[in-house]
Amino acid sequence: MAKLEEIIANEENRVLCLGNEAIARGAIEAGVQVFAAYPGTPSSEISMAMIAAAPKLGFYAEWSTNEKVAMETAFAASISGVRAMTACKHVGLNVAADAFYSFLYMGCKGGFVTVVGDDPHCFSSQNEQDSRWLGVSAQFPVIEPSSPQEAKEYVKRAFDVSEKFEMPMLLRSTTRVSHARTDVQFNKFESNFREGEYEKTNRFACLPALARANHPKLLERMEKIKEWLPTSGFSTIEGPDSHTEFGIITSGISYAYVKDALKTLKKELPILKLGMVAPLDEQTILEFAKDKENIIFIEEVDPYLEDRICALFIQNGVIPKIHGKSSEITKRYHELNARLVAEALVKVVGGSIVPVIEIEKSVEETKDFVPFRPPLFCAGCQHRAAFWELSKVVRKNKGVFASDIGCYSLDPWVTDTILCMGGGIGMANGFSKVIKDKPIFAYIGDSTFFHTGMPALANAVYNKANINILVLDNRMTAMTGFQPNPTEEIDIAEVAKSLGVEYVVVFDPYDFENGKKVFEDALKHEGPTVIIMRKICANEDWRRKRRKGEKIEVFHIDPEICIACGTCIVQYQCPAIRWSLDTNSKGKKYSIIDPTMCTGCSVCSQICPVGAISKVDE
Amino acid sequence: MVETYQMVICGVGGQGILTISDIITIAAQKKGLNVLGSEVHGMAQKGGSVITNLKIGKNLNSPTIPIGTSKMLVGLEQNESLRYIKYLQPGGTVITSETVLFPITWKKDKEAADKARENIKGNLGKFDATIYFIDAEGLANQTGLALTQNIVLLGALSQVEGFPITDNELREALKIRVPPRFLEVNLKAFDLGIRAVKT
Repeated sequence: MAKLEEIIANEENRVLCLGNEAIARGAIEAGVQVFAAYPGTPSSEISMAMIAAAPKLGFYAEWSTNEKVAMETAFAASISGVRAMTACKHVGLNVAADAFYSFLYMGCKGGFVTVVGDDPHCFSSQNEQDSRWLGVSAQFPVIEPSSPQEAKEYVKRAFDVSEKFEMPMLLRSTTRVSHARTDVQFNKFESNFREGEYEKTNRFACLPALARANHPKLLERMEKIKEWLPTSGFSTIEGPDSHTEFGIITSGISYAYVKDALKTLKKELPILKLGMVAPLDEQTILEFAKDKENIIFIEEVDPYLEDRICALFIQNGVIPKIHGKSSEITKRYHELNARLVAEALVKVVGGSIVPVIEIEKSVEETKDFVPFRPPLFCAGCQHRAAFWELSKVVRKNKGVFASDIGCYSLDPWVTDTILCMGGGIGMANGFSKVIKDKPIFAYIGDSTFFHTGMPALANAVYNKANINILVLDNRMTAMTGFQPNPTEEIDIAEVAKSLGVEYVVVFDPYDFENGKKVFEDALKHEGPTVIIMRKICANEDWRRKRRKGEKIEVFHIDPEICIACGTCIVQYQCPAIRWSLDTNSKGKKYSIIDPTMCTGCSVCSQICPVGAISKVDE
Repeated sequence: MVETYQMVICGVGGQGILTISDIITIAAQKKGLNVLGSEVHGMAQKGGSVITNLKIGKNLNSPTIPIGTSKMLVGLEQNESLRYIKYLQPGGTVITSETVLFPITWKKDKEAADKARENIKGNLGKFDATIYFIDAEGLANQTGLALTQNIVLLGALSQVEGFPITDNELREALKIRVPPRFLEVNLKAFDLGIRAVKT
């Protein structure tokens, strides 16, 4: 990743950076004064860069407890006249929806930009939500950059547009823009920070009578943006302008795929690229399409442009032949690439691409030799220890286990359900009301507990849910890159007690003996219990120690004592342990620990049935 | 017109894939070329299979490399090289470490690693490619720092015909990217990688 000094340097420079860092730079160049966010892939690096830059440049930035709080924080700053921004992943935008569906009615003052990172292909997400639809349903102006450089420029412009029309703006990025790494031109900036001031007005209270008056005003503002769009530079047309047979309409990263696909096909076709996808630049679109026989839509996941623009065509009596999701030239799921787009274009405009039959044949012949390598708990992960202990006390078929979003989603033993942030406790509450013959468990991490777990816990206490809540408190938001969160300062045990939970226990997940007792006790208790397994994230702790040059006390396995039962490898599944390539004196394979991966957690030595595992020094 | 050089780098999360991708992009930029790469963050660092795309040239558009279009594949782990060799264009080059890291799915089969080692060369050989097998683990251990396996492969890469960046340019980039106290071992690993391809 780019260095912090490069991101904050007030210089004209080409800097190698991630798309997300380019977005942060754009905000810095625009003079953002308040930034608030909750981490979520693929948006986290925006916030990490902003939060690191803030103290150096003298603006305010925070990790908020959830996306809704972050958005409210930024909104208040905006209506006090300063430039404000928030960033989240697509599902995080849903958490904030309650806020923005209403504040859009009221508009903003200081430039206000929300960046959302969509994740086509679900690289790190639970769905492929296409956030462009929010533009239509909430009347959120949406801009969609096609590269890191454009993302930086768009963020900067978004602040100006936001102030010009007093409208909050949504910038939609996708994984392949956010996590592209390239050289981006940085520009000098002026830090003309404003004094925040709240001018007394009733505009920003969404009471029904005011909301009724505000709704037409919102539509008027959107109408004004629409009128301005053709001259805004957000819509660009390229390619041979005399061409009337075909025209391509695209936006965002799909534009980059179109460019490369046309290069592969050695064809030039007119392309209309829409930088703003809500509201639509109707005038330019109709102008572009009016003399074309065929319009080809290239976009990822949903037929957003296709559906909306087809409606526009019908309303205006422009009826070209339509190619897109409706004619299945591209799929409605997963991401695109230059080849998929080239294949789609060939179906409509002809031409050919080099087949990959030979490669596919070889892939087919060798596929059984390519092992599946799913992500799993790191070596030494305390969550693995926690779930191991739980699975020993309560077998999978003897309980119902509602998990949540975080590293613990990777549990290989007991998990039944995973839904959304904070969803585990809510679902456990529901299970407890209908399933009476089995213990009900919810598990949740420290960051998720503060994100949306607390209201669900209050609900469980109030409604007397007979559930056991395991809080896997590893002192940070590990899954998204070890961000800090309130667990550093607020004790979850005290929170649980103050919410009225009678049974609250804190213990070290490596302490198996105590753990077993706690689980057994908790099961006897009526009403909600909160069991906090507290230990700093083993992976981060190990990395910090290595960076400091501290010695890590690793474990090893005696090949002559090991009976190759597989408890440590097959059952516990520690990634630092594997089968030996050679054999011991009895001619048998045995387990070995990779000393470069071992974190010294000791759990394998506790579960080995024959005592073959010990500290290297002993 | 500069022809775009497309390459993929693959391995297992934690092997230093992003580090060598960084060094190549730094060197390319210093040379006045554009670079465009695509990474996957988040879940991928948890010991999962990782692939990075890298394009070097001028006027680059899309960040990903479709099947059958990469000139080069650098694999830090043999099974991962086999998984991603489909991205290579016919006649492309593979530089793969002989390292085998155990995926969880092998845990139940004590012989799985032996079988994979036996078959891997034959399997990779089914693809139309020039393949260099490098004992990156052994060479890295010679430097005294096992974590330099990635840099060994980077050294080897610098010797491949058609790769647009020279070994000296990569050394300069290494100096920028690697912490000073680790620079010497990394330069050593880099040179061992160069020699591994030359002999």
